[in-house]
Amino acid sequence: MNDTFLISIVTFTYFSAAFVFLISIIFHKKSVDKWALIITFAGLILQTSAIIMRWIHSYQLGIGHAPLSNFYESLVFFSWSIIFVYLIMRKRYRNNLFGILSAFFAFLILAYASLSGNVNCTIQPLIPALQSNWLISHVISSFLAYACFAIAFGTSILYLLKIKMKINILPDAPFLDEVTYKMISIGFVLLTLGIITGAAWADRAWGRYWGWDPKETWSLITWLIYGAFLHARLARGWRGIKMSLVSITGFIAVIFTYLGVNYVLAGLHSYL
Amino acid sequence: MNDMIKKLNKLFSSVRLTIFLFFSLAVTSILGTIIQQGLPIERHKALYSPGVFSVLKFFNIFDMYHSWWFTTLLGLLSINIIICTSRQIPRIIKLIFPEKKGVDDTVFRSSQIRKTFQSRKKLSDLEQQSEMLIKFLVGNPVKVKQEDGTCYFFAEKGKYSRLGMIFIHISILLILVGGLIGNMLGFNGQMNIVEGNRSDTVILFGGKGTEKLGFDVRCDDFTVEFYETGMPKEYKTDLTIIDDKKEAASGTMRVNHPFIYKGLKFCQATYGIAGVSDFRVVARDNRTGDETVLKLNMMKKVPLPGSNASFAIARFVPDHGGMGPAVLGVLLEPGKAHDIFWIFQNGRNINPRQKGAFAFTLKGFSRLYYTGIQVSKDPGVPLVWIGFCLIMIGFILSLFFAHKRIWLRISGSHDKYKISIAASVSKNRKIFEEKLEELTRETTVE
Repeated sequence: MNDTFLISIVTFTYFSAAFVFLISIIFHKKSVDKWALIITFAGLILQTSAIIMRWIHSYQLGIGHAPLSNFYESLVFFSWSIIFVYLIMRKRYRNNLFGILSAFFAFLILAYASLSGNVNCTIQPLIPALQSNWLISHVISSFLAYACFAIAFGTSILYLLKIKMKINILPDAPFLDEVTYKMISIGFVLLTLGIITGAAWADRAWGRYWGWDPKETWSLITWLIYGAFLHARLARGWRGIKMSLVSITGFIAVIFTYLGVNYVLAGLHSYL
Repeated sequence: MNDMIKKLNKLFSSVRLTIFLFFSLAVTSILGTIIQQGLPIERHKALYSPGVFSVLKFFNIFDMYHSWWFTTLLGLLSINIIICTSRQIPRIIKLIFPEKKGVDDTVFRSSQIRKTFQSRKKLSDLEQQSEMLIKFLVGNPVKVKQEDGTCYFFAEKGKYSRLGMIFIHISILLILVGGLIGNMLGFNGQMNIVEGNRSDTVILFGGKGTEKLGFDVRCDDFTVEFYETGMPKEYKTDLTIIDDKKEAASGTMRVNHPFIYKGLKFCQATYGIAGVSDFRVVARDNRTGDETVLKLNMMKKVPLPGSNASFAIARFVPDHGGMGPAVLGVLLEPGKAHDIFWIFQNGRNINPRQKGAFAFTLKGFSRLYYTGIQVSKDPGVPLVWIGFCLIMIGFILSLFFAHKRIWLRISGSHDKYKISIAASVSKNRKIFEEKLEELTRETTVE
């Protein structure tokens, strides 16, 4: 069996998970709730196996490397990270809306990875610059950070909907505000780690830890926006709509760091 | 004058300034990702009208991250961090090392979290329960004093997590200072050295001239391996440093594995073909089927065996129309015009060029590589690494640990005891309060 085939099953699984979470919200049933979680968990296990399979397969092809090195692989890992972060955050912030959000996000990313024509899903050999021990830690910390920010983006949107449209089924506004803050503070630490591992790698590869390359600069822009968020909340006590707008702006910067730099601007990271 | 200092102090100790600087740095940084940085200025000049160009040049937009105004923003941020952090340090030291040990009754009135209830249980039971409660919420309690029947408990955990915030801010300063040192005392550039040659000159990035190393770098050997797809798999250079006319050091430099000498980092960045030589072209005599290997160099005529014609090559291209390397052959026959045609490598084209009596195929050639080395010197790096480590320690302290304190007082007499609880936590206050509520519910007697 092929790992890309497995990923298409995972895509379907996450879609089903989002759907079952939706049903559990509509009908308020504990049993349905349990099923939604089981499906999400099954999706994550299946996806983890697909990633490991691809890893093994690359070694069989004689070009062995961790499956974190091209656009397709990064999309797969991004969706994995979102589900992973969701399952951890669920321990403290249990709300099935976050389940819908995460599962649907993960589904969209995987659907794009499998169906879009401009994502090449073949296992490619690694160019010398990517052959580094820093690759794994850099990619994992960066994408876990992106996943936290993606969830924070979702909760910020829910917050705005709650305040502006007064939708009843949404959780309390202060709760959403709290979740947004928690996800951003964890994401911020992971992003910092991602930037540091990237800097260490750049120092090995090019002899400089920072070179104002567009990808580096955009990661700094993202870091500054979320840094401003944390200062505004912790030291100035900002709450509410202002904070959710900063969180949304931050996520736009994340998307630009991840995609915009490759599609819009040229830079050293153009291989991903 | 004093007023001025007060105002400045107020400005720089405000987090509002921090937020403003963060947003300003973020917004202005976008500019440098749109306008390519570090190019020689002439490349930009052609793109803009003279008026726009002079404005952009004044703001040093073409190297904006090193411009006066960007540096000023970073400088303001540094002052902001220094003043804010130095104001926080005494407060945090007081929290970590409080002046007086023990319990002060005021905490039961002034703490963030307070709770009072009464109980008719036995004193020994209450004490035991209190200890359990404190142990569960914070940690092992200390029974502080017992006079006139009043009994105090105190517990504290994670006080050093307060240092996290200080560490994070000091580390940002270290990184900024490290960056400044690197900018002032370091350099970053490239040198391309052809196999067998040596050089002591680095061409600095951003059109900033050259830098003499004070010693020679010799490229002894360059090797490149390819994947089947033709993509490079690995390339490396064997280097020797010739310092003071002696071979001072030698080693191999690979991508991601720099070679270091006298604090200078030599990174394998690129490579290229400096030249090609020693072409071998097979000439097949179509009448007899005999094959001769001609050893050729550019523009050097050789006779074709078994005829009065001669042959030379005039040009080399690394890849001709996607068909791989090719040479431009020239066939010279007396009494005829020159015949010029492309000759491809073995197997790359099915029909080797048929030319009258001879058919030609390119058999091989030797490539002469040059190695592209990025050379950098940055005395600020150790400071930056310390900053990176410290920031992560700071984050771990403030993310995974919390400073929790709890005080408990049992007062009153044997028929009805009054229990007062005061607590303070540096984060997750709501969760703490919920737990406290839950734990005291059963003990409470109205």
